[in-house]
Amino acid sequence: MSDERQNAGGIEKTGSARLWSALSGMVTRHSSSLLLFMVFCVVVGVGIFMMGDLHTAAEQVQRMYAGSVQGLRRIGELQYEAQETRRATLYALTTNNSNLQVEYADQSRGADRLVREGISQYLLEARTPSEVEVGKRLQRDWEAYLRVRDEVLAEILEGSIKEAVDLDLSGGVPSFDRVRQDLEEVKRLYDQQASEQLTVVDTSSRKSVIRLMGVLCLTLLFASASVWAIQRSKMMSAMKLAKLQMEFVASVSHELRTPLAVICASAQNIADGVVEEKEQLAKYGSVIRHHSNQLTELVNQILQFASTHEGRNRYVMRPLRVADIVSAVMANTRVVAEQAGFVVEEHLGTDLPPVVGDFSAVCQCLQNLVVNAVKYGGHHHRRIAIRAFTGLRDVDHGEEMRISVEDHGIGIDSSELRQIFEPFYRSPAVTAAQIHGTGLGLPLAKSIAEAMGGSISVVSKLGMGSRFTLHLPLAKALETETVGTERVAQI
Amino acid sequence: MRRLLGILAIVAAAVLLLEVSPGGAAPGVPPPAAADDTIAIIVNQANSIDDLSTKDLKIVFLGERSHWPNGRRITLVMMDPGLSERKVILRDVCHMTEPEFSRHFLQGLFTGEVFVSPKTLSTATGVRKFVFNVPGAIGYLRASDVDGTVKVIKVNGRRLEDSEYPLKIEARAAK
Repeated sequence: MSDERQNAGGIEKTGSARLWSALSGMVTRHSSSLLLFMVFCVVVGVGIFMMGDLHTAAEQVQRMYAGSVQGLRRIGELQYEAQETRRATLYALTTNNSNLQVEYADQSRGADRLVREGISQYLLEARTPSEVEVGKRLQRDWEAYLRVRDEVLAEILEGSIKEAVDLDLSGGVPSFDRVRQDLEEVKRLYDQQASEQLTVVDTSSRKSVIRLMGVLCLTLLFASASVWAIQRSKMMSAMKLAKLQMEFVASVSHELRTPLAVICASAQNIADGVVEEKEQLAKYGSVIRHHSNQLTELVNQILQFASTHEGRNRYVMRPLRVADIVSAVMANTRVVAEQAGFVVEEHLGTDLPPVVGDFSAVCQCLQNLVVNAVKYGGHHHRRIAIRAFTGLRDVDHGEEMRISVEDHGIGIDSSELRQIFEPFYRSPAVTAAQIHGTGLGLPLAKSIAEAMGGSISVVSKLGMGSRFTLHLPLAKALETETVGTERVAQI
Repeated sequence: MRRLLGILAIVAAAVLLLEVSPGGAAPGVPPPAAADDTIAIIVNQANSIDDLSTKDLKIVFLGERSHWPNGRRITLVMMDPGLSERKVILRDVCHMTEPEFSRHFLQGLFTGEVFVSPKTLSTATGVRKFVFNVPGAIGYLRASDVDGTVKVIKVNGRRLEDSEYPLKIEARAAK
């Protein structure tokens, strides 16, 4: 009996189960919105990815520009200062004024200092082995030239111009040529590096474009699939609703036609004078009244569901005694139960606390459960039990009232437990068994229970019976003391 | 021939005297203020000489020695005539007046007794840079003008900071 359990009203035993149920409900209700939100997220993600990609490309270009332009500028400065070093030395040859010669020597040494710093900087920033090698060679050759330059300067300052010229021609010129070649080599390496970086940027740019196209295609596909899924979901929902409505119309038509046929036949018989005896007339009148009541009940149920579904009902919430509710339901369903041969047993706990709700609505809800128990109670064990007891709702809300209706009838398949609370749903098994109904009893009961701040749960096993439990909130202490206080809830 | 040589020597001496006199300290004009009145003898950092006597200094500054012991040619660096540093060297090292000094080199170059012609620079910075650039150079500076680019040698075994250090600008020299 307790193998399967369906909670229809949102009351769970644990927090995680409650959260999961709330989440799944939300996903089901807002699937289209969620899908659109996912599309939005994907588009935003793609946008971020594209911006990141563009940023990377821009950084690469900037690095290339900085590396090439600054490198070439540094080489230009190195070449200029090296030339300046030599030029100042040669200027010293053109005068025999010792003061000027010292000044030229000083200029030469100043330029030489800048060249040394430039070479050191180049070596610090050199990354490839070839750059390091060229840098060290340049440093070596520059030191060699400086040694000759110092000798030349000394000769000039001593006044030995001829010796200075000879020394410069024999040692200075070849040394400086080697320096110049080294500088050309450094420049060539910079050009090569810039060319390689250009290739890297070009490759990166192409990859970026390909990635971008791929991502855009995927996004387009995803968006198309999402739109298709949304359309399909809506179409399926519409089709399902249409099918349910058709079934409802068929079912209601059937439910209407049967009593109408009986009423019409009875009326025809009376009109044709077929029925003349007073007892027969009373019997026909009773039949007509019974079926009229049945029709009225059916129409009322449909109207009540419609109004509940549209949220037009106004309930007067007040503390209620459980015994009063059960008594009223027992009185309303006694005839139905007795006619079907059922015995309805009451098992009410002692000192039951009052609940909060609208009296007639709660009675209607419980009555639907009892009528269902009669309708699907089977033919063998015709006994229905109504129990009322308190139980722990959860840690946050404390205790609640539970009123269960238990039968030993045909039961419900576990696969249908989720669907029986959907409007117009009727199990194929009960349809095949010619059990009449509209598929509105349980949805109506569920709507009322939720409007009262409660829920309905079900435990059932196929062929063994079912137990539907109405969960209702307890009246608070203040409300209990001031029985009769009413508040209005519009559902 | 001897007459011709004599005339040339006289003309050269006169030219030297003319060059010296405009830069010379005019009487009554105070000498440039010196932070330190000690005159340092400086050589190139590569020179191995650490100490020279005033007698050796005289030989060097009068151009009577052409090479250092390490074989490097000696280059004399003098400051412009009239500056107090030069006066101290002429007075305390060469024991000569400016005209005598000029005449000495003029005659020495003619006779071949002098091997080195002094280089004349107008500033202390110029002297220091010259000595720094020329391995065989020797010159002089006020102690306050000396830095690490040149090497200061002892004179008569005395350091600059010694009280018996012989080369100092005195009042009479400044005048």
